[in-house]
Amino acid sequence: MLKEFTKGLIKENPVFIIVLGLCPALGVSTKVINSLGMGAGVIFVLLGSNIFVSLLKNFIPEKVRIPAYIVIIASFVTIVEMVMEAFLPALYDSLGVFVPLIVVNCIILGRAEAFANKNTVKASILDALGMGLGFTLALVIIALVREVFGLGTITLFPMGSFNGVIEIPGLIDSPVRVFGLAAGALLVMGLLKALFTWIEDIRRVKQ
Amino acid sequence: MKEVMKIGGKLAAICAIAAIALGVVNAITEPIILAARAEKLRLALSELSAGLEIGEFIKTDNESSIIGYYPLSSGEKTEAYIINIIGDGYAGDLNLLTAISNGGEVLSVVLMEDTETPGLGKEAENASYMEKFIGTGNGSIIPSSKSHLNAKDADSITGASITFIGIGKALNEAAGFVSQLGGM
Repeated sequence: MLKEFTKGLIKENPVFIIVLGLCPALGVSTKVINSLGMGAGVIFVLLGSNIFVSLLKNFIPEKVRIPAYIVIIASFVTIVEMVMEAFLPALYDSLGVFVPLIVVNCIILGRAEAFANKNTVKASILDALGMGLGFTLALVIIALVREVFGLGTITLFPMGSFNGVIEIPGLIDSPVRVFGLAAGALLVMGLLKALFTWIEDIRRVKQ
Repeated sequence: MKEVMKIGGKLAAICAIAAIALGVVNAITEPIILAARAEKLRLALSELSAGLEIGEFIKTDNESSIIGYYPLSSGEKTEAYIINIIGDGYAGDLNLLTAISNGGEVLSVVLMEDTETPGLGKEAENASYMEKFIGTGNGSIIPSSKSHLNAKDADSITGASITFIGIGKALNEAAGFVSQLGGM
């Protein structure tokens, strides 16, 4: 059962191995804090949609399953949007249009269709947590590379007297701006995908 | 027919439950969101007014991108205006509040709402982004093209030129509007 959780982290990482959800992955990964916020939103929606799709798998008619999944997913996304705007307005402002776009994040519909509608609630919860954390992990790694090189900072949550921004000496004054742009996102994504594929190959050969 | 009704009924039931859940969450979060927006507007106005007295909001009735304005006065005399204007951003509207003196000088700018790309266009939400516009107008050009900026400022908007142009054009329009109003 535990492998339902761990598979999403590296072996079937949704971004680097299955290559799903690239739009938000590349769009918000300019800063580490945005990646963490997006990741938290996706984990919540994925968890909610997987639980409900799994619970309702015998109730939802086969012919209208996709509209039914979209209603469930869109409801959770709208809840995330309203709760985030009310209680985390700074994060809501910084994620902008990417919060409502979680509805069309293919990882969520993909997991409903490929996993939750065939498996138990318990397995679907573990799958959602694994895939959600795998997505968050991928976003944070991409953002870490892009933010360190592209802006010369690492932006985390502000806590007490710490304003949340770690400045990297040397890079803060002359950052490599291309990393912050769309071209840099694709470059970093490509290199990291190669790295993950290489790790996966080594693992497979060892087995 | 019976089959279609059954399928439609099940889908309608799912939609109805979703709608109820959303209604409950909305009832809880809406007052908090409205209070936060009102507070954000109050803070922005107090920053933009720079100690001057803020008059009543006057809505413009034409269909231009200017929503309305607040006169800023010291004593009897109107010294400047806070203009609420909508600019064209990269991914939607840019809701701006800008204080402009009677002479057409941009005194300060705040981006209230936008749907720009995080890390690129969204940088315009930072107060430091607006420094390139402050003090312009009243004889000098309010920048609305990269060629109006020095190399460092031009570099800082790389990847988000459309946001910058949207703000620049809106500020030019706001300054033009203030010159029409005159020092009423």
